[in-house]
Amino acid sequence: MDTKVILEVKNLRKSFNSFTAIDDISFSLEEGEILGFLGPNGAGKSTTIYCILGLVAPDEGDIRIFGKNIFKGRSEIFKDVNYASAEFNLPWNLSIWENLLVYAKLYEVPEAKKRITELLEIFEMSHLKDQATRDLSTGLRARANLCKALLNKPRLLLLDEPMASMDPDVVDKGINLIKQIQKEEGITVLYTSHNMWEIEEIAGEVIFLNHGKIIAQGSPLELTQKVLKLEGSEPNLRDVFIHLARSQDEPK
Amino acid sequence: MNLNRVYAIILRHIFLTMHQMERFFDVIISPVLVLILWGFLATYVQNIQSQTLAAFLLGGMILWVVFEKVSTDIGVNFMFDIWDKNVINVLASPITFVEYLAGLVTISFIKILIALTSMWLMAGIFYNFQITTLGFGLSLLWINLFIFAVSFGIFNISLILRYGHSIGPLTWILPFFVQPFAAVFYPVSILPPVFQKIAYLLPISHVFEGMRFTLRTGQFDYGSFWVAVLLNVIYLSGSVALFAFTLKKVIRSGRLVKLI
Repeated sequence: MDTKVILEVKNLRKSFNSFTAIDDISFSLEEGEILGFLGPNGAGKSTTIYCILGLVAPDEGDIRIFGKNIFKGRSEIFKDVNYASAEFNLPWNLSIWENLLVYAKLYEVPEAKKRITELLEIFEMSHLKDQATRDLSTGLRARANLCKALLNKPRLLLLDEPMASMDPDVVDKGINLIKQIQKEEGITVLYTSHNMWEIEEIAGEVIFLNHGKIIAQGSPLELTQKVLKLEGSEPNLRDVFIHLARSQDEPK
Repeated sequence: MNLNRVYAIILRHIFLTMHQMERFFDVIISPVLVLILWGFLATYVQNIQSQTLAAFLLGGMILWVVFEKVSTDIGVNFMFDIWDKNVINVLASPITFVEYLAGLVTISFIKILIALTSMWLMAGIFYNFQITTLGFGLSLLWINLFIFAVSFGIFNISLILRYGHSIGPLTWILPFFVQPFAAVFYPVSILPPVFQKIAYLLPISHVFEGMRFTLRTGQFDYGSFWVAVLLNVIYLSGSVALFAFTLKKVIRSGRLVKLI
Protein backbone atom coordinates (compact mmCIF):
# COMPACT_ATOMS: atom_id res chain seq x y z
CA MET A 1 0.00 0.00 0.00
CA ASP A 2 1.29 3.46 -0.90
CA THR A 3 1.94 5.71 2.02
CA LYS A 4 2.03 9.46 1.75
CA VAL A 5 4.83 11.42 3.40
CA ILE A 6 3.29 14.37 5.21
CA LEU A 7 6.41 15.81 6.82
CA GLU A 8 9.97 15.36 5.73
CA VAL A 9 12.92 16.86 7.61
CA LYS A 10 16.36 16.38 6.06
CA ASN A 11 19.74 17.19 7.59
CA LEU A 12 18.37 19.98 9.76
CA ARG A 13 20.92 22.08 11.62
CA LYS A 14 20.43 25.13 13.80
CA SER A 15 22.86 26.93 16.08
CA PHE A 16 22.35 29.97 18.25
CA ASN A 17 25.79 31.55 18.45
CA SER A 18 28.00 28.79 19.84
CA PHE A 19 25.09 26.64 21.07
CA THR A 20 24.04 23.85 18.71
CA ALA A 21 20.31 23.39 19.13
CA ILE A 22 19.78 20.92 16.27
CA ASP A 23 22.63 18.86 14.91
CA ASP A 24 21.89 17.25 11.56
CA ILE A 25 18.59 15.50 12.19
CA SER A 26 16.44 13.79 9.58
CA PHE A 27 13.08 12.13 9.95
CA SER A 28 9.76 11.83 8.19
CA LEU A 29 6.13 11.28 9.08
CA GLU A 30 3.68 9.33 7.05
CA GLU A 31 -0.02 10.05 6.77
CA GLY A 32 -1.97 9.11 9.88
CA GLU A 33 1.18 8.44 11.92
CA ILE A 34 1.80 9.77 15.43
CA LEU A 35 5.48 10.40 16.03
CA GLY A 36 6.66 11.10 19.55
CA PHE A 37 9.54 13.47 19.95
CA LEU A 38 11.09 12.71 23.30
CA GLY A 39 14.00 14.32 25.05
CA PRO A 40 15.12 16.30 28.08
CA ASN A 41 14.79 20.07 28.35
CA GLY A 42 17.00 21.82 25.83
CA ALA A 43 17.25 18.73 23.60
CA GLY A 44 16.06 20.69 20.55
CA LYS A 45 12.44 19.50 20.40
CA SER A 46 10.81 22.94 20.39
CA THR A 47 13.45 24.40 18.07
CA THR A 48 12.67 21.64 15.58
CA ILE A 49 8.96 22.46 15.80
CA TYR A 50 9.67 26.20 15.34
CA CYS A 51 11.75 25.38 12.26
CA ILE A 52 8.88 23.30 10.88
CA LEU A 53 6.51 26.21 11.56
CA GLY A 54 8.88 28.56 9.72
CA LEU A 55 9.32 30.75 12.80
CA VAL A 56 13.00 29.93 13.12
CA ALA A 57 15.17 29.70 10.00
CA PRO A 58 17.41 26.63 9.95
CA ASP A 59 21.10 27.08 9.17
CA GLU A 60 21.03 24.04 6.91
CA GLY A 61 18.61 21.38 5.82
CA ASP A 62 15.29 21.00 4.11
CA ILE A 63 11.77 20.86 5.52
CA ARG A 64 8.88 19.73 3.36
CA ILE A 65 5.25 19.53 4.35
CA PHE A 66 2.96 17.70 1.89
CA GLY A 67 6.04 17.60 -0.35
CA LYS A 68 6.31 21.40 -0.49
CA ASN A 69 9.07 23.65 0.79
CA ILE A 70 7.64 25.52 3.79
CA PHE A 71 9.35 28.78 2.89
CA LYS A 72 7.55 28.84 -0.48
CA GLY A 73 3.79 29.27 -0.30
CA ARG A 74 3.70 28.98 3.50
CA SER A 75 0.13 30.33 3.80
CA GLU A 76 -1.29 27.69 1.48
CA ILE A 77 0.55 24.86 3.29
CA PHE A 78 -0.37 26.04 6.79
CA LYS A 79 -4.10 26.06 6.09
CA ASP A 80 -3.77 22.31 6.70
CA VAL A 81 -1.34 22.46 9.60
CA ASN A 82 -1.97 23.46 13.19
CA TYR A 83 -0.02 23.83 16.38
CA ALA A 84 -0.52 23.87 20.13
CA SER A 85 1.76 24.24 23.11
CA ALA A 86 0.99 24.62 26.79
CA GLU A 87 3.49 27.47 26.77
CA PHE A 88 1.20 29.66 24.70
CA ASN A 89 -2.28 30.83 25.55
CA LEU A 90 -5.33 31.89 23.77
CA PRO A 91 -5.90 35.57 24.69
CA TRP A 92 -7.13 35.64 28.26
CA ASN A 93 -9.71 38.37 27.98
CA LEU A 94 -11.63 36.77 25.15
CA SER A 95 -14.19 34.05 25.72
CA ILE A 96 -13.45 30.58 24.40
CA TRP A 97 -16.01 31.07 21.64
CA GLU A 98 -14.51 34.42 20.57
CA ASN A 99 -10.99 32.99 20.56
CA LEU A 100 -12.02 30.01 18.49
CA LEU A 101 -13.93 32.24 16.07
CA VAL A 102 -10.85 34.43 15.53
CA TYR A 103 -8.70 31.38 14.85
CA ALA A 104 -11.37 29.86 12.61
CA LYS A 105 -11.10 33.02 10.47
CA LEU A 106 -7.29 32.83 10.50
CA TYR A 107 -7.44 29.26 9.22
CA GLU A 108 -10.40 29.99 6.90
CA VAL A 109 -12.44 27.20 8.43
CA PRO A 110 -15.61 26.58 6.41
CA GLU A 111 -18.78 26.54 8.53
CA ALA A 112 -16.71 27.83 11.45
CA LYS A 113 -19.52 27.99 13.99
CA LYS A 114 -20.54 24.39 13.30
CA ARG A 115 -16.94 23.18 13.69
CA ILE A 116 -16.46 25.16 16.93
CA THR A 117 -19.69 23.73 18.35
CA GLU A 118 -18.61 20.23 17.37
CA LEU A 119 -15.17 20.57 19.01
CA LEU A 120 -16.57 22.12 22.18
CA GLU A 121 -18.90 19.15 22.47
CA ILE A 122 -16.08 16.62 21.95
CA PHE A 123 -13.94 18.38 24.55
CA GLU A 124 -16.96 18.74 26.90
CA MET A 125 -16.63 22.50 27.01
CA SER A 126 -19.92 23.64 25.42
CA HIS A 127 -21.17 25.03 28.73
CA LEU A 128 -17.98 27.12 29.07
CA LYS A 129 -18.02 28.74 25.65
CA ASP A 130 -18.82 32.23 26.96
CA GLN A 131 -16.32 32.05 29.78
CA ALA A 132 -13.17 34.17 29.59
CA THR A 133 -10.10 32.05 28.94
CA ARG A 134 -8.40 33.50 32.03
CA ASP A 135 -11.09 31.96 34.25
CA LEU A 136 -10.37 28.41 33.08
CA SER A 137 -8.31 25.90 35.01
CA THR A 138 -4.97 24.83 33.52
CA GLY A 139 -6.51 21.60 32.27
CA LEU A 140 -9.41 23.37 30.58
CA ARG A 141 -7.03 25.87 28.99
CA ALA A 142 -5.09 22.94 27.53
CA ARG A 143 -8.34 21.59 26.13
CA ALA A 144 -9.21 25.01 24.66
CA ASN A 145 -5.74 25.06 23.05
CA LEU A 146 -6.44 21.66 21.55
CA CYS A 147 -9.80 22.86 20.22
CA LYS A 148 -7.92 25.68 18.50
CA ALA A 149 -5.38 23.23 17.12
CA LEU A 150 -8.10 21.02 15.63
CA LEU A 151 -10.31 23.78 14.19
CA ASN A 152 -9.10 23.43 10.60
CA LYS A 153 -9.13 19.60 10.62
CA PRO A 154 -5.35 19.75 10.12
CA ARG A 155 -3.59 17.11 8.06
CA LEU A 156 -0.50 17.76 10.18
CA LEU A 157 -0.75 18.62 13.86
CA LEU A 158 2.31 19.83 15.76
CA LEU A 159 1.90 19.47 19.51
CA ASP A 160 4.78 20.87 21.53
CA GLU A 161 4.44 19.63 25.10
CA PRO A 162 0.70 20.38 25.05
CA MET A 163 0.23 18.79 28.48
CA ALA A 164 3.29 20.24 30.20
CA SER A 165 2.90 20.73 33.96
CA MET A 166 -0.53 19.14 34.07
CA ASP A 167 -1.66 16.47 36.47
CA PRO A 168 -1.83 12.85 35.23
CA ASP A 169 -5.62 12.88 35.10
CA VAL A 170 -5.68 15.91 32.80
CA VAL A 171 -2.91 14.41 30.66
CA ASP A 172 -4.75 11.11 30.38
CA LYS A 173 -8.01 12.79 29.34
CA GLY A 174 -6.19 15.07 26.88
CA ILE A 175 -4.30 12.22 25.27
CA ASN A 176 -7.42 10.11 24.91
CA LEU A 177 -9.21 13.00 23.22
CA ILE A 178 -6.30 13.58 20.85
CA LYS A 179 -6.16 9.87 20.00
CA GLN A 180 -9.91 9.78 19.41
CA ILE A 181 -9.91 12.73 17.02
CA GLN A 182 -6.67 11.61 15.36
CA LYS A 183 -8.30 8.27 14.59
CA GLU A 184 -11.56 9.81 13.37
CA GLU A 185 -9.97 12.47 11.19
CA GLY A 186 -6.77 10.65 10.17
CA ILE A 187 -4.50 13.42 11.38
CA THR A 188 -0.73 13.07 11.28
CA VAL A 189 0.77 14.16 14.60
CA LEU A 190 4.21 15.20 15.81
CA TYR A 191 4.03 15.19 19.60
CA THR A 192 6.89 16.42 21.78
CA SER A 193 7.27 15.74 25.45
CA HIS A 194 9.86 14.97 28.07
CA ASN A 195 7.40 12.57 29.65
CA MET A 196 8.05 8.98 28.52
CA TRP A 197 4.71 7.76 29.79
CA GLU A 198 2.84 10.43 27.81
CA ILE A 199 4.74 9.55 24.65
CA GLU A 200 4.18 5.84 25.12
CA GLU A 201 0.45 6.45 25.49
CA ILE A 202 0.11 8.37 22.26
CA ALA A 203 2.91 7.55 19.83
CA GLY A 204 3.56 4.45 17.77
CA GLU A 205 7.06 5.61 16.91
CA VAL A 206 9.45 7.58 19.10
CA ILE A 207 12.50 9.66 18.34
CA PHE A 208 14.73 10.36 21.30
CA LEU A 209 16.55 13.64 20.93
CA ASN A 210 19.41 14.88 23.09
CA HIS A 211 21.85 17.75 22.55
CA GLY A 212 20.16 18.33 19.19
CA LYS A 213 20.88 14.81 17.91
CA ILE A 214 18.67 11.81 17.35
CA ILE A 215 20.15 9.21 19.66
CA ALA A 216 17.47 6.54 19.47
CA GLN A 217 14.47 5.77 17.32
CA GLY A 218 11.85 3.04 17.42
CA SER A 219 8.63 2.03 19.11
CA PRO A 220 8.40 2.67 22.89
CA LEU A 221 8.82 -1.09 23.37
CA GLU A 222 11.94 -1.19 21.20
CA LEU A 223 13.50 1.67 23.16
CA THR A 224 12.77 -0.14 26.42
CA GLN A 225 14.29 -3.37 25.10
CA LYS A 226 17.38 -1.53 23.90
CA VAL A 227 18.01 -0.20 27.39
CA LEU A 228 17.19 -3.60 28.90
CA LYS A 229 20.02 -5.13 26.87
CA LEU A 230 22.44 -2.42 27.95
CA GLU A 231 21.52 -2.34 31.61
CA GLY A 232 20.84 -6.02 32.13
CA SER A 233 17.84 -5.40 34.35
CA GLU A 234 14.28 -4.64 33.38
CA PRO A 235 14.01 -0.86 33.32
CA ASN A 236 10.85 1.10 33.95
CA LEU A 237 10.01 3.95 31.58
CA ARG A 238 11.64 6.50 33.82
CA ASP A 239 14.89 4.50 33.71
CA VAL A 240 14.76 4.35 29.91
CA PHE A 241 14.43 8.11 29.71
CA ILE A 242 17.26 8.75 32.17
CA HIS A 243 19.51 6.19 30.48
CA LEU A 244 19.03 7.75 27.04
CA ALA A 245 19.29 11.31 28.31
CA ARG A 246 22.55 10.62 30.14
CA SER A 247 24.08 8.29 27.59
CA GLN A 248 25.66 11.19 25.70
CA ASP A 249 26.87 12.99 28.81
CA GLU A 250 28.96 10.10 30.11
CA PRO A 251 32.63 10.05 29.16
CA LYS A 252 33.27 7.49 26.49
CA MET B 1 -3.18 39.31 0.88
CA ASN B 2 -5.99 37.27 2.36
CA LEU B 3 -8.78 39.52 3.65
CA ASN B 4 -10.27 36.78 5.82
CA ARG B 5 -7.12 36.64 7.93
CA VAL B 6 -6.90 40.43 8.09
CA TYR B 7 -10.52 40.37 9.28
CA ALA B 8 -9.56 37.80 11.94
CA ILE B 9 -7.02 40.20 13.45
CA ILE B 10 -9.57 43.04 13.37
CA LEU B 11 -12.19 40.79 14.98
CA ARG B 12 -9.76 39.87 17.75
CA HIS B 13 -9.14 43.53 18.58
CA ILE B 14 -12.84 44.39 18.44
CA PHE B 15 -13.45 41.61 20.98
CA LEU B 16 -10.52 42.85 23.07
CA THR B 17 -11.83 46.43 23.05
CA MET B 18 -15.25 45.22 24.17
CA HIS B 19 -13.71 43.27 27.05
CA GLN B 20 -11.17 45.80 28.24
CA MET B 21 -12.42 49.14 29.43
CA GLU B 22 -8.95 50.68 29.22
CA ARG B 23 -9.05 50.18 25.47
CA PHE B 24 -12.42 51.92 25.30
CA PHE B 25 -10.82 54.70 27.33
CA ASP B 26 -8.12 54.96 24.73
CA VAL B 27 -10.56 55.23 21.85
CA ILE B 28 -13.05 57.77 23.20
CA ILE B 29 -12.46 59.02 26.74
CA SER B 30 -8.79 59.92 26.46
CA PRO B 31 -9.14 62.02 23.26
CA VAL B 32 -12.19 63.77 24.73
CA LEU B 33 -10.33 64.59 27.95
CA VAL B 34 -7.43 66.00 25.96
CA LEU B 35 -9.87 68.03 23.93
CA ILE B 36 -11.49 69.45 27.05
CA LEU B 37 -8.12 70.51 28.43
CA TRP B 38 -6.94 72.13 25.23
CA GLY B 39 -10.36 73.54 24.47
CA PHE B 40 -10.39 75.60 27.62
CA LEU B 41 -6.81 76.62 27.11
CA ALA B 42 -7.56 77.70 23.58
CA THR B 43 -10.66 79.61 24.67
CA TYR B 44 -8.61 81.44 27.26
CA VAL B 45 -5.81 82.23 24.82
CA GLN B 46 -8.34 83.39 22.23
CA ASN B 47 -9.52 86.10 24.59
CA ILE B 48 -6.08 87.53 24.86
CA GLN B 49 -4.72 86.75 21.39
CA SER B 50 -5.89 86.60 17.78
CA GLN B 51 -9.15 85.08 16.51
CA THR B 52 -7.46 82.25 14.63
CA LEU B 53 -5.22 81.14 17.47
CA ALA B 54 -7.92 79.04 19.13
CA ALA B 55 -8.62 77.33 15.81
CA PHE B 56 -4.91 76.66 15.35
CA LEU B 57 -4.66 75.08 18.78
CA LEU B 58 -7.82 73.02 18.58
CA GLY B 59 -7.21 71.95 14.98
CA GLY B 60 -3.62 71.09 15.86
CA MET B 61 -4.67 69.07 18.86
CA ILE B 62 -7.38 67.13 17.00
CA LEU B 63 -4.98 66.23 14.19
CA TRP B 64 -2.15 65.44 16.62
CA VAL B 65 -4.39 62.85 18.25
CA VAL B 66 -4.60 61.07 14.88
CA PHE B 67 -0.83 60.68 14.81
CA GLU B 68 -0.36 59.89 18.48
CA LYS B 69 -3.17 57.34 18.78
CA VAL B 70 -2.52 55.50 15.54
CA SER B 71 1.24 55.27 16.00
CA THR B 72 0.94 53.97 19.58
CA ASP B 73 -2.06 51.77 18.86
CA ILE B 74 -0.24 49.67 16.25
CA GLY B 75 2.65 48.97 18.65
CA VAL B 76 0.37 48.45 21.66
CA ASN B 77 -1.85 45.98 19.80
CA PHE B 78 1.24 43.97 18.90
CA MET B 79 2.33 44.14 22.54
CA PHE B 80 -1.09 42.78 23.61
CA ASP B 81 -0.48 39.67 21.51
CA ILE B 82 2.90 39.26 23.20
CA TRP B 83 1.56 39.85 26.71
CA ASP B 84 -1.26 37.38 26.04
CA LYS B 85 1.38 34.82 24.98
CA ASN B 86 -0.67 34.55 21.82
CA VAL B 87 1.74 35.84 19.23
CA ILE B 88 3.26 32.43 18.42
CA ASN B 89 -0.19 30.90 17.98
CA VAL B 90 -1.05 33.68 15.52
CA LEU B 91 2.24 33.46 13.62
CA ALA B 92 1.99 29.66 13.44
CA SER B 93 -1.24 30.10 11.47
CA PRO B 94 -1.32 30.71 7.70
CA ILE B 95 -1.23 34.48 8.27
CA THR B 96 1.60 36.45 6.70
CA PHE B 97 3.21 39.31 8.57
CA VAL B 98 1.84 41.70 5.92
CA GLU B 99 -1.69 40.47 6.65
CA TYR B 100 -1.08 40.75 10.38
CA LEU B 101 0.13 44.34 9.97
CA ALA B 102 -2.82 45.12 7.69
CA GLY B 103 -5.15 43.91 10.47
CA LEU B 104 -3.43 46.12 13.06
CA VAL B 105 -3.48 49.15 10.76
CA THR B 106 -7.17 48.65 9.92
CA ILE B 107 -8.24 48.35 13.54
CA SER B 108 -6.29 51.55 14.30
CA PHE B 109 -8.05 53.22 11.38
CA ILE B 110 -11.47 52.22 12.72
CA LYS B 111 -10.59 53.39 16.24
CA ILE B 112 -9.25 56.74 15.11
CA LEU B 113 -12.39 57.35 13.03
CA ILE B 114 -14.47 56.80 16.18
CA ALA B 115 -12.14 59.04 18.21
CA LEU B 116 -12.19 61.77 15.57
CA THR B 117 -15.97 61.71 15.32
CA SER B 118 -16.35 62.09 19.07
CA MET B 119 -13.80 64.91 19.14
CA TRP B 120 -15.41 66.66 16.17
CA LEU B 121 -18.78 66.57 17.95
CA MET B 122 -17.32 67.75 21.28
CA ALA B 123 -15.35 70.58 19.67
CA GLY B 124 -18.47 71.74 17.86
CA ILE B 125 -20.72 71.60 20.92
CA PHE B 126 -18.39 73.07 23.55
CA TYR B 127 -16.05 75.37 21.64
CA ASN B 128 -17.98 76.13 18.47
CA PHE B 129 -15.00 74.88 16.49
CA GLN B 130 -15.73 72.99 13.30
CA ILE B 131 -12.73 71.02 12.10
CA THR B 132 -14.73 70.58 8.89
CA THR B 133 -13.97 74.24 8.06
CA LEU B 134 -10.76 72.74 6.66
CA GLY B 135 -13.05 71.36 3.94
CA PHE B 136 -11.95 68.63 1.58
CA GLY B 137 -8.36 69.41 2.54
CA LEU B 138 -9.03 67.93 5.98
CA SER B 139 -9.19 64.43 4.54
CA LEU B 140 -5.93 65.00 2.64
CA LEU B 141 -4.20 66.24 5.80
CA TRP B 142 -5.68 63.34 7.68
CA ILE B 143 -4.43 60.77 5.15
CA ASN B 144 -0.90 62.17 5.35
CA LEU B 145 -0.97 62.06 9.15
CA PHE B 146 -2.35 58.55 9.14
CA ILE B 147 0.34 57.28 6.78
CA PHE B 148 3.10 58.86 8.87
CA ALA B 149 1.56 57.34 12.00
CA VAL B 150 1.48 53.92 10.30
CA SER B 151 5.17 54.29 9.37
CA PHE B 152 5.88 55.14 12.98
CA GLY B 153 3.82 52.18 14.23
CA ILE B 154 5.69 49.78 11.93
CA PHE B 155 8.98 51.27 13.17
CA ASN B 156 7.72 50.62 16.70
CA ILE B 157 6.96 46.97 15.93
CA SER B 158 10.44 46.56 14.42
CA LEU B 159 11.92 47.81 17.69
CA ILE B 160 9.77 45.38 19.70
CA LEU B 161 10.78 42.50 17.40
CA ARG B 162 14.44 43.38 17.78
CA TYR B 163 14.58 44.25 21.49
CA GLY B 164 11.61 42.30 22.90
CA HIS B 165 8.72 43.41 25.07
CA SER B 166 10.99 45.22 27.53
CA ILE B 167 10.98 48.06 25.03
CA GLY B 168 7.16 48.15 25.18
CA PRO B 169 6.79 51.29 27.32
CA LEU B 170 8.66 53.23 24.64
CA THR B 171 5.64 52.59 22.41
CA TRP B 172 3.69 55.21 24.35
CA ILE B 173 6.52 57.71 24.58
CA LEU B 174 7.97 57.67 21.07
CA PRO B 175 5.38 60.01 19.46
CA PHE B 176 6.26 62.68 21.99
CA PHE B 177 9.85 62.71 20.73
CA VAL B 178 8.40 63.95 17.45
CA GLN B 179 6.03 66.51 18.96
CA PRO B 180 8.46 69.44 19.43
CA PHE B 181 9.46 69.21 15.77
CA ALA B 182 5.97 68.51 14.47
CA ALA B 183 4.93 72.17 14.88
CA VAL B 184 1.54 71.08 16.11
CA PHE B 185 0.68 74.18 18.12
CA TYR B 186 3.07 76.73 16.65
CA PRO B 187 4.57 77.48 13.23
CA VAL B 188 7.91 75.97 12.25
CA SER B 189 9.29 79.50 11.90
CA ILE B 190 9.43 80.00 15.67
CA LEU B 191 11.78 77.03 16.10
CA PRO B 192 15.56 77.52 16.27
CA PRO B 193 17.20 77.03 12.83
CA VAL B 194 18.54 73.53 13.60
CA PHE B 195 15.14 72.39 14.84
CA GLN B 196 13.53 73.90 11.73
CA LYS B 197 15.72 71.70 9.56
CA ILE B 198 14.65 68.62 11.52
CA ALA B 199 11.00 69.74 11.37
CA TYR B 200 11.08 70.09 7.59
CA LEU B 201 12.33 66.50 7.30
CA LEU B 202 9.14 65.25 8.96
CA PRO B 203 5.89 64.99 6.96
CA ILE B 204 3.91 65.85 10.08
CA SER B 205 5.26 69.43 10.26
CA HIS B 206 4.11 70.05 6.68
CA VAL B 207 0.67 68.74 7.57
CA PHE B 208 0.34 71.23 10.45
CA GLU B 209 1.77 74.07 8.41
CA GLY B 210 -0.83 73.22 5.77
CA MET B 211 -3.60 73.15 8.37
CA ARG B 212 -2.69 76.60 9.66
CA PHE B 213 -2.50 77.97 6.11
CA THR B 214 -5.99 76.67 5.36
CA LEU B 215 -7.45 78.03 8.60
CA ARG B 216 -5.83 81.41 7.95
CA THR B 217 -6.61 81.81 4.25
CA GLY B 218 -9.36 79.35 3.48
CA GLN B 219 -7.14 77.94 0.70
CA PHE B 220 -5.63 74.48 0.59
CA ASP B 221 -1.84 74.46 0.78
CA TYR B 222 -0.90 72.10 -2.05
CA GLY B 223 2.81 72.82 -1.60
CA SER B 224 2.88 71.48 1.97
CA PHE B 225 0.62 68.61 0.99
CA TRP B 226 2.89 67.29 -1.78
CA VAL B 227 6.03 67.67 0.30
CA ALA B 228 4.32 65.64 3.05
CA VAL B 229 3.27 62.99 0.51
CA LEU B 230 6.83 62.70 -0.78
CA LEU B 231 8.28 62.45 2.72
CA ASN B 232 5.62 59.90 3.64
CA VAL B 233 6.62 57.71 0.70
CA ILE B 234 10.20 57.79 1.99
CA TYR B 235 9.25 57.14 5.64
CA LEU B 236 6.77 54.36 4.82
CA SER B 237 9.24 52.63 2.49
CA GLY B 238 11.96 53.01 5.12
CA SER B 239 9.85 51.59 7.93
CA VAL B 240 8.64 48.65 5.81
CA ALA B 241 12.24 47.92 4.74
CA LEU B 242 13.42 48.09 8.36
CA PHE B 243 10.58 45.82 9.41
CA ALA B 244 11.36 43.25 6.68
CA PHE B 245 15.06 43.34 7.59
CA THR B 246 14.33 42.97 11.32
CA LEU B 247 11.85 40.16 10.75
CA LYS B 248 14.34 38.22 8.67
CA LYS B 249 16.97 38.75 11.32
CA VAL B 250 14.79 37.63 14.25
CA ILE B 251 13.65 34.53 12.37
CA ARG B 252 17.30 33.67 11.76
CA SER B 253 18.43 34.43 15.32
CA GLY B 254 15.46 32.68 16.94
CA ARG B 255 14.43 35.88 18.71
CA LEU B 256 10.94 35.79 17.22
CA VAL B 257 9.92 32.79 19.31
CA LYS B 258 11.49 34.35 22.41
CA LEU B 259 9.21 37.39 22.25
CA ILE B 260 6.92 36.14 25.00
